[in-house]
Amino acid sequence: MASHAQAQKWSFRITPIRVLLLLLSAVAIGAIIFRLVTGLGTVTNLSDEWPWGLWIGFDVLCGVALAGGGYGTALIVHVLHKDYFHPIARSAMLTSLLGYLLVMAGLFLDIGQWFNFWRPFVSWGHHSVLFEVFWCVSCYTTVQVLEFGEIATERVGKQFHSIFKKALPVLMIVGIIFPTLHQSSLGALYLLMVDKLYPLWWSPIIFLFFLMSSFFVGPAMICVETTLAGKAYDHWIPIPILRKLVRISGYAMILYLIIKIVDLTNRGVLGLAFSGTFEANWFLIEMIFGIIIPIVIAFTGFSNSRSGLFTFGLLVSCGVVLNRMNVVVTGMIRSTGVSYVPSLWEFVVSAGLVAMGVLAYCFIVENFKILEHDNHSHAA
Amino acid sequence: MSKGVLVDLTKCVGCGSCTVACKLYNGNAWDETTPTLGDKAKLTGKNWTVVHHKEVKDSNGQPVWRFVKQQCLHCKEPACVSACFAKAFQKTEAGPVIYYPHLCVGCRYCMVACPFNVPKYEWEKAFPLVTKCMMCSDKVEKGEAPACVSVCPADVFKFGEREELLKEAKAIIAKDAKYVKHIYGEEEVGGTDWIYISDVPFDQLGFKTNVTKRSLPSYTASFMHATPFVGITWGVILTGLYHYTKRRNQVSKENNKNIKA
Amino acid sequence: MQNQADKEKERQVTRRGFLKMMGGIGLTGITATIAGCSTDPAGGKGWMPQQYQVASSFPVQVKGRIPIDPTNPSITRDDKKCVLCGQCVEVCQRVQTVYGYYELPIKDDITCVNCGQCTLWCPTAAITERDDIDKVVQALEDKSIHVVVQTAPATRVGLGEEFGMAPGSFVEGKQVAALKKLGFDAVFDTNFSADLTIFEEGTELIKRVTGALDEPLPQFTSCSPGWVKFCEYYYPDLLHHMSTCKSPQQMLGALVKTYYAKEKGISPDKIFSVSIMPCTAKKFEAARPEMNSAGKHAGKPELRDVDVVLTTRELARLIKSKGIDLTSLKDEKYDTLMGESTSAGLIFGATGGVMEAAIRSAYFLITKQEPPEALLNLTPIRGLQGCKEATVNIPGVGDVKVAVVHGLSNARPILEAVRKGDAPYHFIEFMCCPGGCISGGGQPRTSLPPSDEVRQARINSIYNADAHIYAKRKSHENKEVLALYEKFLESPNSHIAHELLHTHYEDRSKHLTVKKNA
Ligand code: SF4
Ligand code: SF4
Ligand code: SF4
Ligand code: SF4
Ligand code: SF4
Repeated sequence: MASHAQAQKWSFRITPIRVLLLLLSAVAIGAIIFRLVTGLGTVTNLSDEWPWGLWIGFDVLCGVALAGGGYGTALIVHVLHKDYFHPIARSAMLTSLLGYLLVMAGLFLDIGQWFNFWRPFVSWGHHSVLFEVFWCVSCYTTVQVLEFGEIATERVGKQFHSIFKKALPVLMIVGIIFPTLHQSSLGALYLLMVDKLYPLWWSPIIFLFFLMSSFFVGPAMICVETTLAGKAYDHWIPIPILRKLVRISGYAMILYLIIKIVDLTNRGVLGLAFSGTFEANWFLIEMIFGIIIPIVIAFTGFSNSRSGLFTFGLLVSCGVVLNRMNVVVTGMIRSTGVSYVPSLWEFVVSAGLVAMGVLAYCFIVENFKILEHDNHSHAA
Repeated sequence: MSKGVLVDLTKCVGCGSCTVACKLYNGNAWDETTPTLGDKAKLTGKNWTVVHHKEVKDSNGQPVWRFVKQQCLHCKEPACVSACFAKAFQKTEAGPVIYYPHLCVGCRYCMVACPFNVPKYEWEKAFPLVTKCMMCSDKVEKGEAPACVSVCPADVFKFGEREELLKEAKAIIAKDAKYVKHIYGEEEVGGTDWIYISDVPFDQLGFKTNVTKRSLPSYTASFMHATPFVGITWGVILTGLYHYTKRRNQVSKENNKNIKA
Repeated sequence: MQNQADKEKERQVTRRGFLKMMGGIGLTGITATIAGCSTDPAGGKGWMPQQYQVASSFPVQVKGRIPIDPTNPSITRDDKKCVLCGQCVEVCQRVQTVYGYYELPIKDDITCVNCGQCTLWCPTAAITERDDIDKVVQALEDKSIHVVVQTAPATRVGLGEEFGMAPGSFVEGKQVAALKKLGFDAVFDTNFSADLTIFEEGTELIKRVTGALDEPLPQFTSCSPGWVKFCEYYYPDLLHHMSTCKSPQQMLGALVKTYYAKEKGISPDKIFSVSIMPCTAKKFEAARPEMNSAGKHAGKPELRDVDVVLTTRELARLIKSKGIDLTSLKDEKYDTLMGESTSAGLIFGATGGVMEAAIRSAYFLITKQEPPEALLNLTPIRGLQGCKEATVNIPGVGDVKVAVVHGLSNARPILEAVRKGDAPYHFIEFMCCPGGCISGGGQPRTSLPPSDEVRQARINSIYNADAHIYAKRKSHENKEVLALYEKFLESPNSHIAHELLHTHYEDRSKHLTVKKNA
């Protein structure tokens, strides 16, 4: 570790919560090693009926969606040059980077022949949607690491800072193209499951829903994150900035809702949503709490308070998580015929990955200019 | 022209020879927990084909037993092939959909994608592979019938050119009133190389009958074709926007005499 | 004499040839081990017929196999051992004419007469009898249960083979000794109820002939359960010809839980009735729902007349598992009450035997005179010829025409003739298995397929005992049977005899579509 040499300069506060998180990570790492050595059957509850479970649903699909805040912010701040939002740019992109690293880790854990992970780089199954996801996610993560290089070189390897700085605009644009593509193609993965995925979720434009939700969940995540970070570091992003973001999100959600209703009506399955079935209920929960109530919050005075913003963020984030889990699990139960409950270890590993992400976030925030970045932002 | 197999379910006596032949030919181990024949039969990583036992009613309402051999249907346009991002699944000229284990990453998208849930996984292994019937492709390549097909004592199968078999199947069900007027696999998911005829409606025999008639890969094909185009256009737009808004900001800043940097 | 010697030589040569071949196989085995090629455990991978010995585990010539219902009470198959050789189809279709004689699609049954011939033909022993040894062991271990056993005529000329004795070795006394050693409380002889069958079936025949019973001629024997089921499947219209007599096994079973229970003062539900049979179909027969006459008689219809049937092979395994060496046992005698038998009962075990025994006693019952010596050696209906017939002149009745068939493929032509009304017989003996019970599906497996030499040796042994070992040769001389009538059954075909010793049949044709002119 390079950090050792300058030990006195690096800081990492140890709090009881962090001890807990460290513990969780340690257990998860144990489970991960065990899984990599003994296979999937021993650790997970996956089966021939449920080839995909919590790790794909939560770690990958939700992970990617929640990390979507990065490209949205990049779009707003760096391409549209809405400098107004600059204060949140760096932390949003950091969350995104960490999110993607965790997604990569989750994917790596989930594949059976993990030593073979590089295969699609040489053996091109180019007709596969997963092929696109794979390439985009790999490239985007690389791009994000490079983007982070700009921040990192403010402190380490300073001589490269200007190079990164110059490359940044290109990286930003590439870093928006990739996520747009794979956010939608993650949804497109399910195009093939026309006879398996419940019609409330399956749609010929499911990719559009995935893309849009990954966009509007960005500000929501920022609300949650800034509230938490604000509490932890006593660093508060001004409410108006967040409120404006939330409004952008709100417009996207209205559009999403309209397209959804039109799509369901078009396919004649809108009625299914009110049929009282297991799927219908989950669908309604997802739509009401994840979309409709947040829209109300966004366009009423409630979003003028920190608690309102936090509620918005929480609802939308959970709504998107629920949406992804509905696609992976709820919507598949009927065609599968058996139910799936993830094993304890699956939960532990998922939680452990999140814990690692939080710890890394804390470490980076404490050692790099992430939150107080606004002071310097206009220097360039 | 691809090869296919016509399965006449009315002739199956449930002997299970086909399942044994598959084991012998492919050298698959016997699954200690899951039988290949009967009510509890299930496709597994070791069982590439099974024969299900169904107690149903015939057209006269009489209770009858039917046996249904299940294996990969070797779709004309297989979802599993289009799903695999490492090209581990490929459809050969002759018809069989085969699997190259060394290319497989183990993502299991193929399993999720197959409309008939055919590919199975070796869950118990540390480095599991996907498994499924490969239609004994080396036999088919030589023009020979697959192992299971060649051993049936009851003449359930016909092996040949799919289109020929389809004609034959049509002739059989047109001539003999006991058959239901449906050839399973003729149109399902765009057509399969293994096709079935039966005297009991297919849904009662455990066949998935509500499947789309469109080939599954066609659902993703347009999406995939659009991708590079969308990507490039999007890039151009973004670059344009980048320069435009930057310029606009500068202009407005200059105009407002509000230059900070 | 010269001729004989030549034949002997020839046989030796072939045997030597065979041994040489085996030696050769052994030799390759050794070479392989020395060269370090084989890491297989000693004993190799098991025997495979010549035609399968090619590179790759997939046989060159595969034919598929017969279907077996997993709930079949008689036979099961271990898929792992099946090599798809098609021998089972061969025997089922060609020898027994069961498989392939119904139209497809099937109905709600996998047609099977439970004969178990496939267990003898299967080269890898993939098909075996359903193993019921555990049930017997459990009963034997339960001290509160009185376990009674009966042994069929044919097991005593087969069991020895499982212990390395020559085919046909007569081990009646040793078998009894082994059963007693195993802890059975009473050991009875199915020969006894075979003698009893002669009374019942003979009386029925006479009634049919004289018109006292309004049922058609010829009368069919009913002691072979595989044959009975075959008739129920394929010739249900001829079931009226079938004697209503139960098989000797079921007769004895019904008597064990009535007559014996009464004589001994044991409650029938404390009795566990086992039978040792050369036959897998007997397992099916014992499980037929109507085979609970003793139970019904006692007001407990859930009781079975025969609780468990073990085949000869299972008995051999049971004996071996208890560490008993059959060959060194001293002969013992059957228990009294239902242990006495005449050799007429014994010859039930060989094809033609039932008929011969019936004629011996019918002659007596009709003429009240002992049959002439010639009738005690009715050679025309002995031996392995598929269909045999004889005409016997019985004073007062005239010529009685009889026929004997064994192996179901031989039954079909004669049944067709009966159907058309041009079978001139009074009485026909049907045995499901070729050779009769001595080569039933539960007998020791021989080198395959069950060869006629082994069959003949077992038959010879039976007739040798008939001529030289047994003191009495006619069923009507069986004192214990006579005592049974006196004390319990009153007379042949009496009301109680009907209740306990007779049965009815089921038209099974609704479970299959019989192929026309197959
Ligand atoms: S049945 Fe499934 S596994 Fe077989 S070819 Fe079709 S999609 Fe692929
Ligand atoms: S599990 Fe293997 S074969 Fe299936 S889609 Fe993934 S890489 Fe391809
Ligand atoms: S075609 Fe070959 S691999 Fe497929 S089920 Fe038949 S024997 Fe097995
Ligand atoms: S081999 Fe033929 S008859 Fe036997 S189970 Fe298979 S398809 Fe049916
Ligand atoms: S005889 Fe035995 S090994 Fe041969 S096909 Fe029949 S069950 Fe299989």
